[in-house]
Amino acid sequence: MSCLNGTDCRETAKRRTALAVLALMLAIFLLLSAWSFLPSRGQTVPDDIQYGGTGAVEGKRVFQAYNCMGCHTIVGNGAYFGPDLTRIHADAGAAWLAAFLPSAGGWPTSAAVRVQLQNPAAREDAGTVGLAAYLQRYPGAAERLDRRGGQHTLMPNLPLSAHEVTALIAFLKYTSALHTEGWPPKPREDRRMPAGLAGHTQAVGNGAASGQAAATAPSVPATATADAQAQDPVARGRQLVSDLGCVACHASDQKRTVGPGWGGVAGHEVRLTDGTTVTADEAYLVRSIRQPDAQIVADYPPHVMPSYDALIDEADMKAIVAYLRSL
Amino acid sequence: MIQIDYHTQRLSLRFFLLMLILFGFQVLFGLLIAVQHVDPRLLSGILNFNILRAEHTNLGILWILSGFIGTILFVGPLLSRRELAAPGLIRFLFWALLAVTLWNVATQSLAAQGIAGWWLGQPWLQEGLEYLEAGRAADVVIFVGFAILAWVVLRTFPARRDWNEIHWGLAIGVTALTFVWLFGVFFIERLDLQEYFRWYVVHYWVEGVWEVIHISLVGFLLVLMFKADVKAVGYAVFWGVALVWLSGLIGNAHHYFWIGTPEFWQFWGSLFSALEPLPLVFCFWHIYLDAHQDRRPLANAPAFYFILGSVVLEQVGAGILGFTMTFALTNVWSHGTWVTPSHAHLALFGTFGMLGIAAAYYAIPLLRGVKDFDQRLGRIAFWLVFAGMLGIAFAFAIGGTIQVFLYRAMGLSWFGGQIFPAMQFYKVLVPVFGLIFLAGAGLLIYDLLTLGLRARNASRPRAVFRAADPGRWRRTLHGTEAGLWLAGMWIFGAFITLGLLSFNLDAVAQGDPTIPYVLAGLGYPGLLLITLLFVWRFLASLEARPAPGPAPADFGQSADQAVRA
Repeated sequence: MSCLNGTDCRETAKRRTALAVLALMLAIFLLLSAWSFLPSRGQTVPDDIQYGGTGAVEGKRVFQAYNCMGCHTIVGNGAYFGPDLTRIHADAGAAWLAAFLPSAGGWPTSAAVRVQLQNPAAREDAGTVGLAAYLQRYPGAAERLDRRGGQHTLMPNLPLSAHEVTALIAFLKYTSALHTEGWPPKPREDRRMPAGLAGHTQAVGNGAASGQAAATAPSVPATATADAQAQDPVARGRQLVSDLGCVACHASDQKRTVGPGWGGVAGHEVRLTDGTTVTADEAYLVRSIRQPDAQIVADYPPHVMPSYDALIDEADMKAIVAYLRSL
Repeated sequence: MIQIDYHTQRLSLRFFLLMLILFGFQVLFGLLIAVQHVDPRLLSGILNFNILRAEHTNLGILWILSGFIGTILFVGPLLSRRELAAPGLIRFLFWALLAVTLWNVATQSLAAQGIAGWWLGQPWLQEGLEYLEAGRAADVVIFVGFAILAWVVLRTFPARRDWNEIHWGLAIGVTALTFVWLFGVFFIERLDLQEYFRWYVVHYWVEGVWEVIHISLVGFLLVLMFKADVKAVGYAVFWGVALVWLSGLIGNAHHYFWIGTPEFWQFWGSLFSALEPLPLVFCFWHIYLDAHQDRRPLANAPAFYFILGSVVLEQVGAGILGFTMTFALTNVWSHGTWVTPSHAHLALFGTFGMLGIAAAYYAIPLLRGVKDFDQRLGRIAFWLVFAGMLGIAFAFAIGGTIQVFLYRAMGLSWFGGQIFPAMQFYKVLVPVFGLIFLAGAGLLIYDLLTLGLRARNASRPRAVFRAADPGRWRRTLHGTEAGLWLAGMWIFGAFITLGLLSFNLDAVAQGDPTIPYVLAGLGYPGLLLITLLFVWRFLASLEARPAPGPAPADFGQSADQAVRA
């Protein structure tokens, strides 16, 4: 050890003291650390959280496998490209997440959320059956549907399987249940938005909000208004596929997004996963909407498209088929 | 022809060259994601932001490590008065580092398909955790690489009784580098526990092990460059390292505020991490002392420029900007916003990146036998990357302050589409300063890659300033003045801290951002400008030192004389 003057050097003693203090600090740190994770602290653990029969740990694996932290923060850590995800399950609920995740490139419409509420796992998790009650419980979902429903997001579509979606929801349910000492801080109730910034219900720079919340129209698609009856069926069909959220997964040309593109499908041959080839006649098109898992197009995964059977009546279905035929 | 004292020092050259190549690619990835922030649709679905960001952060870590290795291999024989042990292993280490880098660049793209390579419960291909994106396969190779480095260093060093503080610092550094890494190689089910251990690697590396290595290497480089007294430097190394750990061991808890760990960490973390700037002030003081113990002119300007930059940005980027966010009361606001990368970029590149570049500028001329190289390119490159990075930090910081107000305090939603437009000006500023940074990076990479190999005559007489009166800006910098500059930096740091604290005020929480915006608007530009001016002042005063005589100073003297055991 170096001593500056060489004479009467208390440097060694000082250094020994410093190292002893360091050892003490290590002991304190280790004690506090052990204390932090004791069961008696009552922190939520992922083993306690399930959704749709899948555990939160499995969802954590999916979260890591897709490197979600590379765009989003979770408990505030990660990247700042997308929002923090810690509380999104508490905010928007499982049905909204189940509608969003398979086609993250598009914001879900209320119809898409309603479709997901047919799923018993989503119903049980939300504790509600109808969309109105769901939106009451999850105001974050209501806000997202209201302000952005049907529009493009800035997130790319990810090839999440149905199981991965379920697992992710379980993980996000777990993070929502974590005690984080009140972080993020709750904005004050008595705050005034600064002037010059859009008020609570306006969107900036994206044109008119197109998704209607339809919180009070439980069984009818949002735009089944009187004047729609007089519309040309093809135009009506185009409106319906937008309102129902079909365009979140299907393109009107031949491009594959989440599901197959509709361009040139009607009336032509389609190859299915079981190797057979069928003609895409009206019966096929209707069946693919009402019972999507009955005949899946080759190279597409099952169980991703939900059934719209309960949401579309005969008249609307005819309009949709007319629209599909026009592509 | 300059003689290198030990031929195994030449093994360091390949690590410096690799460092420069990886640095170049890292900057390009950074520019790309900066532009994606401005237009998020760019390459969306083709090259997603998260993958490019992982490339940017991982390459950043790898080039800095390559610089560390190069520097350690260069100084190791000088510290030990003998050749490096196991040169074969060192060559293997180089190829392993290159291979694992290329492997990691490739496997990160699997995140787009959600392929982690799960096997035995571990993600072998990529693992998608910030800074630890590399998969288990890469983790194992990296661990082996660190173990090789540690082994070579410990075998090369003399007997332990002959160690001075620099030996201890480096020995502890390379050993700890290896073992702290292990905390990141497990899949952990609980998110709070995962974050707890992830920060072991991140914090105990950058605010622990890397700082130990940095202090030791800067100390030794100052001995080589200024013939500083090894005993005095050794004293500084011990206390610098001790203070780093005395503050930073419990100070790690400033990462444990909101991640699901208990509230008592807010007290311990705020208190101890607030002390973390102390060793940095100590180091700042020491670089002043060591550069002023005589009046010799700067023999190798670029090397010293980057060392000074490294120590100053450690103070400002790591110390001051870190300080502003280290308290629970400020961190509750800044956590998860752009205020964080403001600190991170300035601190990481500033402290550790600049050290690698400084060492390269010191070592490469010696390794290539270049007596007098054209130092202008290095100096210009320094100013470009220095100013560029200060500007990047500024853009992140102000954009982040706006984000804190709108996203945290006002609770505006991301999908509401109001936050990004409000930050847009600063989102554009990041790549604008990034281009300045890129110009400097490109220049220094070109300069160092081709140093001594360029066609024209190598020797260029150095511009020697012989004016009788250097003027006020170039006169000798005295300790009091240096202290005043430092105090000025901290005053601006206080403005920034008060600005973040002000988010707790009722008036701000109710919708009036005047106080935090004014304090940030004064604090950040003030801090960054005073930093720029201080470094300019310091370097100008050194450049103004008169040369001793017609022959330029020989900076290639045997370092043997400098190292007195």
